[in-house]
Amino acid sequence: MPPLPHLGATIFSMRLRILAFASASDALGAAESSFELADGNRVGDLRRALLARYPALAPLLPRLAFAIDGEIAGADQALREGAEVALLPPVSGG
Amino acid sequence: MAERSLLTSERLDLGALLGEVADPACGAQAIFLGTVRNFNNGRCVVAIDYTAYDAMAARVLARIAAELEAEAPGLRLALRHRLGRLAVGEAAIAIVAAAPRRDAALVAVRTALERVKSEAPIWKREIYADGGADWRELEPLVARQDR
Repeated sequence: MPPLPHLGATIFSMRLRILAFASASDALGAAESSFELADGNRVGDLRRALLARYPALAPLLPRLAFAIDGEIAGADQALREGAEVALLPPVSGG
Repeated sequence: MAERSLLTSERLDLGALLGEVADPACGAQAIFLGTVRNFNNGRCVVAIDYTAYDAMAARVLARIAAELEAEAPGLRLALRHRLGRLAVGEAAIAIVAAAPRRDAALVAVRTALERVKSEAPIWKREIYADGGADWRELEPLVARQDR
């Protein structure tokens, strides 16, 4: 019988698809990327994790909105595996 | 009615939009065209690149039109936003409202424009005559229920 995996070290994580627009795209260096985050994290946790990974986001963060699967999301909103997370700086259409 | 994206990379066709709202019960058609201006913040602008979070922006534009029509009896609203690189003088947004009387049509055009500017995930990047370029980021997006 094969040895059991060492469950104590296992951290379940979810993979998010990150879309970054306008200056947020410049800050991340890519319009599209993926990001891994531990299960149970929320949008507010993702903000902190992204800032740690991409310090260039710092000046944008106070005015940066997040959308999950196309709808604006607050800091308390839950994230799930495979979610599409959009980083939306202030807009200037029209 | 088939869902048609209100975002396009094609030149905006005002005649087609007027056709969409044509209605014998309407005595007023109000039109707004937003065009690329050659000067902003002390710099000469030669073009603007428009980009969008397409799927969400298309949905937001459709929702704005549907909500305004639902609020005003007899109102018919058509709008398009153009994406890509636009030269000075080209139209980035066209809004046409038809209503039985002028007040409703004029108000609807103004309201639709202001809502697009604050709710739609669309961005412009100005291209300057001196070779520089800058994102213009003006209106922080917030959830509708928080407005």
